[in-house]
Amino acid sequence: MNGEAIIRCEGIAKSYFRDSLEIPVLQGLDLEIPRGGYFALMGPSGSGKTTLLNLIAGIDRPTGGSLEVCGYRLNDLDDDELAGWRAIHVGFIFQNYNLVPVLNAFENVELPLLLQPLSRAQRRARVLEALALVNLEDRMWNFPRQLSGGQEQRVAIARAIVSDPRILVADEPTGALDAKNAEEVMALLERLNQDLGKTILLVTHDPKAAHHARVQIHLEKGVLDRTVEVNR
Amino acid sequence: MKYLHLVLRSLFRSRRRTLLTVAFLAVSVFLVATLQSILATLDGFANNPNAANRVAVRHKVSLTNLIPMRYQDWIRQQPEVEATMAIQWFGGIYQDPRNFFANFAAEPEPIVRIFREEIVEYTESEFKDFLRDRNGCIVGKSLADKFGWKVGDVVTLQGTIFPMNPRLTVRGTWKSKRQADEQVLYFHFKLLEEGVPRIAGRVGSFWVRAKNADDVPRLIERIDRHFSDALEPTQSETENAFQLNFLKMMGNIAAIIHSITGAVLAALLVVTANTMAMAIRERTTEVAVFRAMGFTSLQVLGILMAEGILLSLMGGVGGIALAWLGAGAIQQGIGSVIPWLADFAIPTETLLFCLHASMGLGLLSTLVPAWRAVRRPIIEGLRAL
Repeated sequence: MNGEAIIRCEGIAKSYFRDSLEIPVLQGLDLEIPRGGYFALMGPSGSGKTTLLNLIAGIDRPTGGSLEVCGYRLNDLDDDELAGWRAIHVGFIFQNYNLVPVLNAFENVELPLLLQPLSRAQRRARVLEALALVNLEDRMWNFPRQLSGGQEQRVAIARAIVSDPRILVADEPTGALDAKNAEEVMALLERLNQDLGKTILLVTHDPKAAHHARVQIHLEKGVLDRTVEVNR
Repeated sequence: MKYLHLVLRSLFRSRRRTLLTVAFLAVSVFLVATLQSILATLDGFANNPNAANRVAVRHKVSLTNLIPMRYQDWIRQQPEVEATMAIQWFGGIYQDPRNFFANFAAEPEPIVRIFREEIVEYTESEFKDFLRDRNGCIVGKSLADKFGWKVGDVVTLQGTIFPMNPRLTVRGTWKSKRQADEQVLYFHFKLLEEGVPRIAGRVGSFWVRAKNADDVPRLIERIDRHFSDALEPTQSETENAFQLNFLKMMGNIAAIIHSITGAVLAALLVVTANTMAMAIRERTTEVAVFRAMGFTSLQVLGILMAEGILLSLMGGVGGIALAWLGAGAIQQGIGSVIPWLADFAIPTETLLFCLHASMGLGLLSTLVPAWRAVRRPIIEGLRAL
């Protein structure tokens, strides 16, 4: 890895506790991801890939090691600081889209912008821009129930990028989609990486989806198993 | 304000549940507002500032025991006394027991003097006719209007306490500041004495008007002390205290109303808490997504709390509106049966109490489920599908 790492994990460990039983998920993992990278985290269930994604995205805390993302040592941030950090630096894409059902596409995309000091007009311009990027301007007044799965995921991607974060984390973004929609979503992510320089970290079981990434990181029982550069 | 649309949309996520909860809240707040207003109205009746210098003197044992008329001579001579009047609750029925109103046999001459704050608008000639006619009566304008009585009409009362059915000619009417004070009929005490010889020379009570309100405690003490060794000792009290005792004969209304209010508020709390708990629980993932996007726990808590408070406020305002609209109907309906409620109104204090209680309920019912939702780790919330 080079010195422009946007994500730096040093000896990252994470254990969960069930009653008094400690269940180690990540065990001293070292990893560096460069700015603008497109990485797929792969591995069998329980290998710790989603846990690693959650730690990097700042929605979970490591039990050991040091985690630096976008120049911030996440271990040192309290809950509110971490929330503020996420609002600026990370965009989330979930397997089940997780759109708010009572808000239309426009309002769903607008949500992260409510946290920023922007006027209504500025928010509107940013939302339209994001919806244009995912090619859904014509569906912006539709509610999630009025959209197909692929369209919902594209709205979710627009929501993830609208605040212009440096990192996009996607947990099985094609898991609930058919092959055609999955391909469209992956192509969109690839475009965001190449055209906008977003660093993308993707968790997937799907080799086709993983093939869109430039690097595949394979985890096995909480440790780094191997890193594979994808040749296209 | 930029979260308002979010709060409103979330509030109507399950339209039926929200509307049913608001309807329940509205009906409950209506009940609370109405009951509390009844209490306030009755309280106002027993705290009449106009009655500050009026004293009721009765038998120490009970209202039903009579006291000698001659007591009045001594009472009238007291330096603090401006006027006295013998007065007897007749309790007669006009046509139907449901046509309840207060009717008294009273000495006619001092009526206006004793009750000058109540009998504020009347025709002198009509009252002179009343004084002249032993079979005459005077009635409050509202009462006369209610039964369509006009001067000259004959009204027959059916005695329930005393064995006589006086046929009274309406000789005059008066207007008062409060409707409740117009729900009264007075006829000559002499007529009662003639009709019921066994009570001759005795009466249920004296109404005494002191020259100054400050003299009242001293007067009360002196009257009761004077008659303490008599065969029929007296109990004197302010008119307000007398009214209060009279109301207490119906039971401890305040305790009953407060108990019902408490029970209704407790039920409201449970129902609202249940609604909000359900509404928040089914959005566990959504709360986690909000927090993942960068909303702080406090911001999410604020949005959820605003939703709960708004829900309660909608119900509260609906209930207040119902109570306000219903006040007129209660005044006309119940007020015609129970004269004390003839001036029924929803006081501002009650409206404010209901508004604050609604907000408090929203706050209390939402706080626990909302707090639990935002304290839940984000990754747990995201998994809760």
